[in-house]
Amino acid sequence: MIKKSIIESALQKALSNGADFSELFLEDSVSSTMQLLDRKIVKSITGNDYGAGIRIFYGHKAIYAFTNDVSEKGLLKAAEAVSKAETGDKRTEVIDLTQTIYDSPHKILIPFNSVPILDKIAFVHSIDNASRNFSNYISQVSITYMEKIQNVMIANSNGLFTQDQRTYARVYVSSIAFKDNQMQTGSEGPGALMGYEFFKKLDPEELGRNTAERAVKILLADYAPSGKFPVVIGNGFGGVIFHEACGHSLETTSVAKGASVFADKLNTQIANPCVTAIDDGTMLNKWGSTTIDDEGSPTQHTVLIDKGILKSFMIDKLGGMKIGLRSTGSGRRQSYKFAPTSRMRNTYIDIGPDTIDDMISSVEFGLYAKKMGGGSVQPGTGDFNFSVGEGYLIEGGKIAKPVRGATLIGNGRDILKRISMVSNDLEHAEGMCGSQSGSIPTCVGQPTIKVDEIVVGGRKEK
Amino acid sequence: MFEKEFQNIRTLAKKHDIIHYDVYLSKSKSFSVKIFHQDIDTFNYSDSIGLGIRVIFNDITGYSYTEKLDKESLNAALLSAKNNAKTVDFKKKVILDNYPLIKEGINIYNKNLVGIPVEDKIKKAKEIEKIALRSDKRIINVPHALVGDNESLFKIANSNGLNKEYTTNACYGLSFCLAKDQEETKSGVYEIMSREFGDIDPQMISKESVQKALELLGAREIDSGNYPVLFNNEMAATLLSTFWSIFSAKTVQEGQSLLKGQLGRNIAHPIVNIIDDALLSKGYNTRPFDDEGYPSQKTSLISDGVLRSYLHNTMTALKDGTISTGNASRSYKTSLNISPSNLYIKPGLSSKSDLRSLFPRCVEIVQLSGMHSGCNTISGDFSMGAQGFYCENGQRKYPIHNFTVSGNFLQMLKHIVGLADDLKFKLSATGSPSILVESLSISG
Repeated sequence: MIKKSIIESALQKALSNGADFSELFLEDSVSSTMQLLDRKIVKSITGNDYGAGIRIFYGHKAIYAFTNDVSEKGLLKAAEAVSKAETGDKRTEVIDLTQTIYDSPHKILIPFNSVPILDKIAFVHSIDNASRNFSNYISQVSITYMEKIQNVMIANSNGLFTQDQRTYARVYVSSIAFKDNQMQTGSEGPGALMGYEFFKKLDPEELGRNTAERAVKILLADYAPSGKFPVVIGNGFGGVIFHEACGHSLETTSVAKGASVFADKLNTQIANPCVTAIDDGTMLNKWGSTTIDDEGSPTQHTVLIDKGILKSFMIDKLGGMKIGLRSTGSGRRQSYKFAPTSRMRNTYIDIGPDTIDDMISSVEFGLYAKKMGGGSVQPGTGDFNFSVGEGYLIEGGKIAKPVRGATLIGNGRDILKRISMVSNDLEHAEGMCGSQSGSIPTCVGQPTIKVDEIVVGGRKEK
Repeated sequence: MFEKEFQNIRTLAKKHDIIHYDVYLSKSKSFSVKIFHQDIDTFNYSDSIGLGIRVIFNDITGYSYTEKLDKESLNAALLSAKNNAKTVDFKKKVILDNYPLIKEGINIYNKNLVGIPVEDKIKKAKEIEKIALRSDKRIINVPHALVGDNESLFKIANSNGLNKEYTTNACYGLSFCLAKDQEETKSGVYEIMSREFGDIDPQMISKESVQKALELLGAREIDSGNYPVLFNNEMAATLLSTFWSIFSAKTVQEGQSLLKGQLGRNIAHPIVNIIDDALLSKGYNTRPFDDEGYPSQKTSLISDGVLRSYLHNTMTALKDGTISTGNASRSYKTSLNISPSNLYIKPGLSSKSDLRSLFPRCVEIVQLSGMHSGCNTISGDFSMGAQGFYCENGQRKYPIHNFTVSGNFLQMLKHIVGLADDLKFKLSATGSPSILVESLSISG
């Protein structure tokens, strides 16, 4: 992408005011997005993102700059801007860059550009047809088709010089059901670190039907009750509970500042012993995987919680220096426009011995949150909230009628201790996670779990 | 600026028989410094450019963008936009016109901001943290003490002779602090944006964030039920910024807004007026023209409870047989859309404490969480985590937490029974006074 000698001089320039580390991240990404709405392709955009980010450290201080001007002059100008932010006493020399290319296990079988555009259009139309054919209540279907190839080059003053290519495929489907001035949405957004073979493996009929079925079910449902009761949370996207309630608080971004409720809890019991949780960047062709992270470290399989005991945080270079631990290959960023920080990859609660039937039958009155919606957490306090996409009442140990409009709220610290049962039906679901270093592909995941008590905000009194 | 690149595009477009097109360029510079433990935590500086192209063929639009501005990349971008126009099977008339300039003078650039030394910005960020930590021993941490500024140039040109640009800049300061008492932790955030560096007052920013965190300590839980709810100005603005898309003509035309067919009807309590004003003095989103180059204006969306207008760009206006409200929005990466400029609920005459006394008891909400998950912008339903105060006889009795507030945004507009005089804008350029809603479901 760019001459080694230019990279070396930019890295050296960035160190010139006494910094102890410099890093260059260069990105050249090409993406295409298409949207189907009203049964028509209404939008088609192709784009090229291109630029470089330079980061330097003075001790635990990070300075970052980015530019689209990746000529020698442009890079040196950005390097000079970061170098002037601070004055240090180090006299660091850039170690000779030696190129290391990690062999990617995430093989791409069918390149996007080998597939005719008409096939891609036919694919999204078949999802749309399946959704609309499911029910007359379906008034609108929006489908976004996305393909992206991100090329990155990372070099640093410790002599690291490496590259990676990430190929992403995703389709996001939203079916809208309408009745008597009420609208409800059913969405799904499967994706992978794969080429066009991902779309070939997907069943468009099932995708259309499932989103439509959920929208209609919620549309016809009564409002959820309010109060505190047991909640059984479904597999797959249900893992958003762990992602929000716990995952973000285990990133060094919040841990290093003591701004996380788990900051001083390493090797202590933070969850019920039935909970084992993992963050894995190595899973083959998974949406949240990469061969190396955005700091050039190979990604890892990281056990966060082992039988309830906190074993590891998710650690990037800078966060690792601050808390005195090694990187877990968790330094990620949306693009060259963001300095990397510790982020999740494919995060999930591991399987347990229980079954859904055991869980449901153990509940006298509660909620079965089969499909979760999105959510957020405030890492400082651990307070989280998320919405239930598809929910049912549980009455007398049996699944009863569907309910809508429920929100689960609580605190990460408390909820982890209240998970009392875990089944073996582990699934993963793709999403985009937004945080300090931008919006990045991640998977959430879990088997079905039971939480003994959680505050449910609905519209009706119990 | 960038006349050479725009000339290259004109030449290349001619060569490829591209007759109808427009070009949107943005160039932005930004700076921010974050302090932690009186030292620089992060220091970001950026200088970036992007250029988006729309090519229109037989009423079909194709898009592309590039961050490389050399002739070869511009050529590739033009060709991909042309190809994309062939993929799309959706015809929609696009108006490319040479719109007039506004007559009003607006002040959106302060040249004095450019020369502020970096050291002064670092000093202010340090003060924010220091003052917050010293103000009360229960303030245990200030995870974010931030000062920054940005400057952006927007330039739009089209094949019908339009070619105009403007530059805007601003600076901001933010404090986010944590207060702890025994096992309870509460947070407080305060942010301010201005075109005068002097307005970034560390004393005020720290004090406000600290007070917000401290006043919630000692929170109790609340019994579930229906209560009159008083949203403070910031939270009312947050609700408006979450649900603004119901006013978008695009959302309406796509069948995703409940306001479809409601023009001229009563959709809110008669005391409610909602306005979008792109010419607002000192507005965060004040500008001479929108992202199609269409001149800015002030638009009344709800007047005395009656829906008067949607937010339009020229495409949605053409379809509805009306004229644009100057609310076209796009970035160089995205297709043409609609967004508000400075959108606000007009303030009333009451003080906030008058509103508190309207009912024997009420719930006052000062923090909301889960806007993106707990709100359905299509159905208007919301259910969000909240914190605030339980009030009786016009007085705050005690702080409350761990509860949700649920309702429907449209139904809520009909049940707004009081508006305070304390209009405040969030950095999202959405503003509101404190509002009192007759009844909402609270569950704790």
